[in-house]
Amino acid sequence: MTPTVAELLLGNFVAFSNPPPPEAMGDFMTSRIGIVGMISMLAAQEADRGAAARIWENGAIRAMLARGGGYGPFAEVQDGEATIEALDAVNADLRRALIALHEAVEAAKDDDLDREILDLYVKMAQARRLDLPPFPAS
Amino acid sequence: MSLTEQLEAYLTRTTGLPTKVVAMARIPGGASRETYRFDADVGGTIKPLILRRDPVGSLIDTDRRLEFLAFRSFHGRGLPVPEAIALEEEGAELERPFFIMGRIDGGKAGSPFSAPPYGDHARAIGEQFFGHLGAIAAADPLTLPISEAAEAPALDACWKRELDYWSGVIEADELHPQPIVRAAIRRLRANPPPPAQKLSVVHGDYRTGNFLHDGEGRVIALLDWEMAHLGDPLEDLGWAMDPLWCYGETERVCGMVPRAQAIALWEKASGLKVDLKAFAWWELFASVKGQAIWTSSAKEFRDGGLKDPVLGFSGWYTARRQDIILADRLSQGMALLEAQA
Repeated sequence: MTPTVAELLLGNFVAFSNPPPPEAMGDFMTSRIGIVGMISMLAAQEADRGAAARIWENGAIRAMLARGGGYGPFAEVQDGEATIEALDAVNADLRRALIALHEAVEAAKDDDLDREILDLYVKMAQARRLDLPPFPAS
Repeated sequence: MSLTEQLEAYLTRTTGLPTKVVAMARIPGGASRETYRFDADVGGTIKPLILRRDPVGSLIDTDRRLEFLAFRSFHGRGLPVPEAIALEEEGAELERPFFIMGRIDGGKAGSPFSAPPYGDHARAIGEQFFGHLGAIAAADPLTLPISEAAEAPALDACWKRELDYWSGVIEADELHPQPIVRAAIRRLRANPPPPAQKLSVVHGDYRTGNFLHDGEGRVIALLDWEMAHLGDPLEDLGWAMDPLWCYGETERVCGMVPRAQAIALWEKASGLKVDLKAFAWWELFASVKGQAIWTSSAKEFRDGGLKDPVLGFSGWYTARRQDIILADRLSQGMALLEAQA
């Protein structure tokens, strides 16, 4: 997925690597520091849950592709290293296959499998959710 | 030469009076353009102003002339819209395109990522927020300055033009396959809405966070018209009510008023009716458009050297929230959308 946590955290560094112009101090800099803080906090969640979420999603998509095998064939893609980068590379291939499957299911008006895929989307989105605490209103 | 000095040179040349720029400060938000507040001392007269300058990279690629003309279309017409003062599409002394507009002081914008910000004034704010949007929808766009630059689509082509544009953005900028939004795009194409009731000015980004309120229940400025265009008035209503802008609340839209009341307020002010089937299309479209913007943000963050954390945050956290909204809508809302097919 993009941007990656590595890119985001590098970005947090880059954001402050040069002195800002005078007009960017004050409210703008306060806001920027807040966003960098939020990214750091959410990156901790991603570090904790990210690999597990991807392993689950890759498995769930594989199961769906097997379920819809009649619309295939879909190339078998196995997880390699359990790093987020490696899992994302596999995930990209699996997601492309899932898109192809869903298009075929829609064309065939297979409402039952369509419903299963839509339910899978809900689970996929939830598995990747990031939780911000309710910041007080300004 | 600093930005302040560049601006002083520009204002001195264009006003013909010696001009000093004081209290120049960049404003957070307004991610599609760099936004600054400043006071211009023009020959001894102090003018409170806002500068909107094109950035090097941005959340969205928009036409500053359209934005300028949108401000000009609604300033002085009973809506709290700042005055558009000067537009420089070639950048002049500031090197990048910009425009200058009047500043409305004394207000604050509620971040969509905070707790609901309106407190006891939520209902009053909601009445104005949806009433003002209805007034925008009611206006005849062909009589307004924005018609000088905005294309006027046929009533039955509004949906397709928008869907083609935003699905094209996803096609061009996607860095990782997105099955959820692609499914939504296919559903929208397969189940088009009825023609627009009328052609309206569409603000394009009318939502919490893009207006100022005075903390006492009054909306004092409608801002961020950078995505303004002509189209189906339901587009703005669907965008405004996207759950992304609703603070996680389910009882009130935008943290303001119940959904039915919001629609009634809009209908009263616009003189139009909300066809619920058509609106279901525009609500799903709103989430597709959102995901297109966050997709572009992720690409711009990477292409721009990871310098702007707003782009990174939008392309990551906001994109994931939008995926949850899209998946829920696809799962729960398809019966209504498909019933019109």
